[in-house]
Amino acid sequence: MLHKLNRFLNGETYFASVARFVLSFGSLLIIWQILTATVVTNRLLLVPPFEVFRAFMDEIASGEMWNNAQATVFAVGTSFPVAVLVGVLMGVVLASSRAISLMGGPMLSALNSVPIIALAPLFIAWLGLGFASKFVLVLLVAVFPVVVTTEAGLRAADKNLIETARSFNATRLQIFTTVTFPYALPFIVSGVRVAWARALVGIVVAEFFGSFAGFGFAVMAASQTFDTATLLAYVIVLGGMGLIGSVIFQSLEERLAPWRKA
Amino acid sequence: MAQSMNDEHILEIDNIGKTFRRRDDTDLVALDDINLKVKKGAFISIVGASGSGKSTLLRIIDGLLEPNGGTVKVNGKTVTKPGKDRAMVFQNDSLLPWKTVIQNVAYGLTLAGVKWRDAAKTAQGFIDLAGLSGFENQFPHQLSGGMRQRVNVARGMAVDPDILLLDEPFAALDSQTREIMQTELLRIWQQTGKTVLLITHQIDEAVFLSDEVVVFSARPGTVRERIPVPLARPRNLDIKRSIEFVGLVDQIWKLIEEEVKAAAKT
Ligand SMILES: Nc1ncnc2c1ncn2[C@@H]1O[C@H](COP(=O)(O)OP(=O)(O)O)[C@@H](O)[C@H]1O
Ligand SMILES: [Mg+2]
Repeated sequence: MLHKLNRFLNGETYFASVARFVLSFGSLLIIWQILTATVVTNRLLLVPPFEVFRAFMDEIASGEMWNNAQATVFAVGTSFPVAVLVGVLMGVVLASSRAISLMGGPMLSALNSVPIIALAPLFIAWLGLGFASKFVLVLLVAVFPVVVTTEAGLRAADKNLIETARSFNATRLQIFTTVTFPYALPFIVSGVRVAWARALVGIVVAEFFGSFAGFGFAVMAASQTFDTATLLAYVIVLGGMGLIGSVIFQSLEERLAPWRKA
Repeated sequence: MAQSMNDEHILEIDNIGKTFRRRDDTDLVALDDINLKVKKGAFISIVGASGSGKSTLLRIIDGLLEPNGGTVKVNGKTVTKPGKDRAMVFQNDSLLPWKTVIQNVAYGLTLAGVKWRDAAKTAQGFIDLAGLSGFENQFPHQLSGGMRQRVNVARGMAVDPDILLLDEPFAALDSQTREIMQTELLRIWQQTGKTVLLITHQIDEAVFLSDEVVVFSARPGTVRERIPVPLARPRNLDIKRSIEFVGLVDQIWKLIEEEVKAAAKT
């Protein structure tokens, strides 16, 4: 019986993956419930799942959830695509020339290792509270993973495939569009997946300090009124955004490179 | 021009030399003064120890690599870059993994600007010729090694080159699949009348397929010997057991062995 269940859960079927999700999510809820009932009874620190759900519904009823969602989704929805586009373009430029890569590479990795998040207060001082500072911060944190994976993907392109294209008299542009870029696409998508997680951190931090609406703002506001249930409700919404992005980009990656699995 | 086409040399290789600069700035002479003339419609094989510059020569003929000296002429025109008159088939089935069989076979045509509908029609013809009917919409990773190599050859044929250059196309296949591919290649060659230049390290493959086997010396590669293969055509696998065939294979073996031994001494 247990053996059978185990086999089912290890399976590749759609039902198995749904079952895995329900099981892990369910156990999390149970552990959470037990924790709030036994160990962490201080409601300022942790509230039981049901209260979080109620806070979530309250936020929806009051329209706050919608307000905050609009602010956050608009900011991420505009800056993230720009970050991806800029990242891909920069990656293409870096991969196209050894000299540029040698000059720009170290600078980029230096910039990349700076915790840009820490510069959030500075951006807010420069750009003011609201959309502009969010846009720039998300752009800056999300762009690097895309640059790095784009360049790496383009450089990794199979030399034999490039030579084949050359032997068919392909132009440089044709080699790019038919060989190196398709080869790099799954790499790029994996960079986009990392960038998405970073963008969410970026937006939350920007909204902590620099806005009047948004999920980050709501988390901050709730924490200042010791409303742990509402705080957790927003954190879970953010977690959902992260998860959805991750699942989408992961499946896109697999769809773009089915030959890698085989 | 007044000459009959059959007597014309479609490929003329004159004094080709190639020296590579190694990482440590020393020179590596890969090819030394190669001369070779090939008649239109001929099937020529090149055999030789590994590292003797066979692939290098094929790349030069295809225009992928510039020689240090000498000229390659195809149909009387000096080669400076890849062109429509030549197509290369590499050992590793260098198929685009994100393209289907028919898209891969049509690849050279689409690069040349042929409209997809026409390219697909031509590609379909070569897919049928290569025995790949029914696999048009499969991806390379769904095919066996032998099938992939058929796609690879079909892709080369599809651009309708005058000369087909094959660099150890069957080396990665098991011996049974290889024999099947050899007879298939013969059939396709006979049906299309292309000139074929094949590199192989399988001597029996070279003898079975070719009108002439060119034996390379060990590095630096030079033409050590040209062995005509007077076996009647059409050939089937049975001739591999004939005394003539075995004798030719033996003769070529000895030449290569001598070369390898001589190279080991120096
Ligand atoms: N791009 C290159 N740079 C440096 N050396 C090379 C290059 N290509 C081939 N060689 C060298 O030239 C020699 C001949 O190589 P190749 O033509 O591949 O031989 P074969 O195909 O007969 O095995 C080898 O020693 C190889 O290492
Ligand atoms: Mg070789």
